[in-house]
Amino acid sequence: MLKMILGHSDDPDSQGAIEEVLEQCIRDLAGMLPKAGLLFAAIDFDHALILETINQTFPDLQLIGCTTDGEMSSILGFQQDSLTLTLFCSDTVDIYAGVGRQAEQDAIAAAHQAVQQATEKSLTPTKLCITVPASYTANGSTTSGEQILKGLELALGANVPIVGGSAGDQFRFQKTYQFFGTEVFTDALPVLIFSGDLRLSHGTGCGWQPIGSKSTVTKSQNTVLYEIDGQSALEFYQKYLGDRQPTAEHPLYVYEGDSDRCYLRVPNTCDLETGSINFLGNIPQGATVQLAEISRDQVIAASETSFKMALEHYPGTEPEAVLIFSCCCRRWLLGTRAKEEYALVKNALPKMMPIAGFYTYGEFAPLQQQGSNYYHQETFVTLLLGTA
Amino acid sequence: MEANADQQKLQELEKKVRVLTKKLERSEADRQQLEATSEEREHILKGVIRDFELSQSSLENRTRELEIALRDLKQLQVKLIESEKMSALGVLVAGVAHEINNPVSFIRGNLSHIKVYTQDLLRLITAYQQHNPNPSQVLKDLMEDIDLEFLREDMINILKSMQIGSERIQKIVLSLRNFSRLDESKFKAVDIHEGIDNTLLILQHRLQATTTRSAIQINKQYGDLPLVECYAGSLNQVFMNLLSNAIDALEDANSMCTDQDVKHHPNEIWICTEVNDRNQIKITIADNGQGIPEEARSRLFDPFFTTKPVGKGTGLGLFVSYQIITEKHKGKLSCQSTLGSGTQFMIEIPVQQPLLPSR
Repeated sequence: MLKMILGHSDDPDSQGAIEEVLEQCIRDLAGMLPKAGLLFAAIDFDHALILETINQTFPDLQLIGCTTDGEMSSILGFQQDSLTLTLFCSDTVDIYAGVGRQAEQDAIAAAHQAVQQATEKSLTPTKLCITVPASYTANGSTTSGEQILKGLELALGANVPIVGGSAGDQFRFQKTYQFFGTEVFTDALPVLIFSGDLRLSHGTGCGWQPIGSKSTVTKSQNTVLYEIDGQSALEFYQKYLGDRQPTAEHPLYVYEGDSDRCYLRVPNTCDLETGSINFLGNIPQGATVQLAEISRDQVIAASETSFKMALEHYPGTEPEAVLIFSCCCRRWLLGTRAKEEYALVKNALPKMMPIAGFYTYGEFAPLQQQGSNYYHQETFVTLLLGTA
Repeated sequence: MEANADQQKLQELEKKVRVLTKKLERSEADRQQLEATSEEREHILKGVIRDFELSQSSLENRTRELEIALRDLKQLQVKLIESEKMSALGVLVAGVAHEINNPVSFIRGNLSHIKVYTQDLLRLITAYQQHNPNPSQVLKDLMEDIDLEFLREDMINILKSMQIGSERIQKIVLSLRNFSRLDESKFKAVDIHEGIDNTLLILQHRLQATTTRSAIQINKQYGDLPLVECYAGSLNQVFMNLLSNAIDALEDANSMCTDQDVKHHPNEIWICTEVNDRNQIKITIADNGQGIPEEARSRLFDPFFTTKPVGKGTGLGLFVSYQIITEKHKGKLSCQSTLGSGTQFMIEIPVQQPLLPSR
């Protein structure tokens, strides 16, 4: 048995919001004791106060969480400036939390630290790792999603699915917070490790379309893109954006070699003097790139694809809970249609079941079932959990 | 109890106000961001359109380049065919001229002897007749049989005409040798008039009167030309092309008129030569045919363009002529035509070829 209990409040007042959330949770728990929790909070809340209040209510709760770019639950649907608490109860699934610190400086070490902390109490092999790591840290620099993923894979072994999303800050791209127990961090890597009798499946979908002519990366190093077709990366963008700086809404499609497989890379910061752009992910030199554009219909259709892919591959009879992680750019570009992403998932469910999720700054999920883990951008990730 | 309810109501209202205020802030911020995004997307669209325009214009350029390359290739091909043909023809003509020249020399050389022998024989017959005014019946029958009186007269005429014929053969052979001049590889200072006259001689059969028309009249207005540095063989080819075209044009015009018209408006070709003030010679070849329709004029010098029926024209004559004049001789070949009254072609080439390495 795995039960997911939800609380969701749109009260902008921290105290008011957490009280309302806990009230809903306690009512639905009906006496059960939650093992672990995920807290998705808007950036403006007093997070320490919220965590303290939760701790007073559920002192032994294995809790992690993060700030977001929008929260979703089956209670209030899609919201911004809200607070969502997801609690897990189970007698057959073990769930432990861990946190790694200084994820920006050394993601590998932070991942190791977090996984070790979470797995040391666990007696059975890890079935799933949910993570909500930092993206923008206190000094405004960013963590590397790829490094975090690499660290987690090193610590967990490559066969454990890693699902989740990076913390957000309501599209401000300044500073994000992560939670572990009662602690609030800005560059942490919190994980929730599931083991025992757990069944799960996942799916991804994107929906961005390449536009314009294809070009070649002539100079790049890790996440910094210097030149495309011999001209500066900024000039490449300016061709399309005029004197505006590249933003997350206009990522690049990256094609490697002759393969059809392509992925998105989102620009983060740029250096006006050198004309280089720092991306939220590596861009290999020699790769072919193309500007990406959205059509809202296709972005929404991709959410459905993601959910259907997860449902189709669910190994049991029926999942009991749904977690969704969707990119902030999707939320932003969908505007008033952002709620359709959530609604699609809700309507496609075979029966009523709890749904929770948030809008992230980078998504984690394997490309296929039992496939290798991947750090996505602009993507919609569905995770189905259950025991039957 | 009521105070409690009021308190709760108040709390709910307070929360609602908080939520609404937050939502208002949020929607204001969203609106601004949306506006920025919409401008950005507009830029992207323009950028993509620019991309397309660029790739379209580069495609157009490429197409143009390819068209030029294709045209060059065609020209090269034509030149190759033509030069192969011309050199083969030149060798053939020179060979034939040489082979004919020898037997014609025997004929021409021996004609004078034949003439003397014939005259001697005729003299002998006359002497016999004087000495024997009453020959036997057998001799009388024979004289009657061979029509001695006519034979005596005609023999001299035949010999005369043989003399003229063989002279003409010799002239033609000489013209052919001149015309085909196997000196294509170098410039030579030549008498242009000689080239034109040779060409006219070769075309003589086409200029003469036929059963359907009277002879084409050639009006030469030759100026005082210096020797001109040129590829004589090639230039003769140009004269040949232009004169043949003029004759074709006149024959075409005749086919559209009555014999009476042709009599009143006899076929004429004018050939004028002069030196202009730019130290160039100018040769004008004009006819009084039907003229060239306007739509054909711009394509006259295009390869494979012809108005002649299939099998008659290759569409290469004027094209090759144009190449010979403009490229080989750095000259100009132009055409003026008036529908109904005729066409003239003007050749202009420098008397001396500039930058001639051999000079």
